[in-house]
Amino acid sequence: MKQIIAILRDERVEETKAALEAIDVRGVTFLYVTGRGEQKGRVSARELAGSLNRNMRMQLGPPLPVDKLPDAMTGAAGFGFHPDADFALGFLPKRMLVIISCDEEVNRIVQAIVNSNQTGRHGDGRIFICPMISALRVRTGEQGDKALS
Amino acid sequence: MKLIRAIIRPESTQRVIEALEKNSIYAMTRMNVTGRGKAMGITQGPVRYTEMPKEMLMIVLPDDVVTKAIRVIETAARTGTKDYPASGNPGDGKIFVTDVEESYTIRTNEK
Repeated sequence: MKQIIAILRDERVEETKAALEAIDVRGVTFLYVTGRGEQKGRVSARELAGSLNRNMRMQLGPPLPVDKLPDAMTGAAGFGFHPDADFALGFLPKRMLVIISCDEEVNRIVQAIVNSNQTGRHGDGRIFICPMISALRVRTGEQGDKALS
Repeated sequence: MKLIRAIIRPESTQRVIEALEKNSIYAMTRMNVTGRGKAMGITQGPVRYTEMPKEMLMIVLPDDVVTKAIRVIETAARTGTKDYPASGNPGDGKIFVTDVEESYTIRTNEK
């Protein structure tokens, strides 16, 4: 039995739910968390703005390469900041999914999560597989694999 | 790889995170929880608080860094007097360590 802990973007959670449903994984626990990874919580203003609509993207133009950023571009707040400015936010809002599954299902579940969350950008998230000793269904007292199905 | 779950006082969080940053540990997940330990909450006059707000930090680290990280968290999360770093107060929290067998980075789809 394994515990799959997936830390994902909030906006991808609905797609992930659908993908898990498609492989018949029903039991999932969702938590709102904050976190950061190797980027230390740095995002560009573009990233912060989330999914920009087409109009805004066309107005902003393509992202500037890092060496062409104007000076003093970090940490501006409010309007008037450059969309490629860096913000050091510390911790970013994420969603954590916890799935308990039997050993054979782990690879399929991981693939489903990766496929519905991979965008190639930093902040996509991580999946951790931890060993689980036992599970119990509170309603019936069933233990072990019967508690998972 | 190990998963460290540190349950600490919310007011100690900033201190703990800064202490971890000084030791080059940046990646972590943080969540607001409530809980209780041996003391089963606190009593203030006629009111019994059976759950106390805490902050839980989840950090996944390679095995060789784990002992150092635990010591760093422990020292920073203790609320004892500065003269005796060994002292603490009830409610300072607990640190749990469990195994992580595999870890996947979603952005690159590698282990």
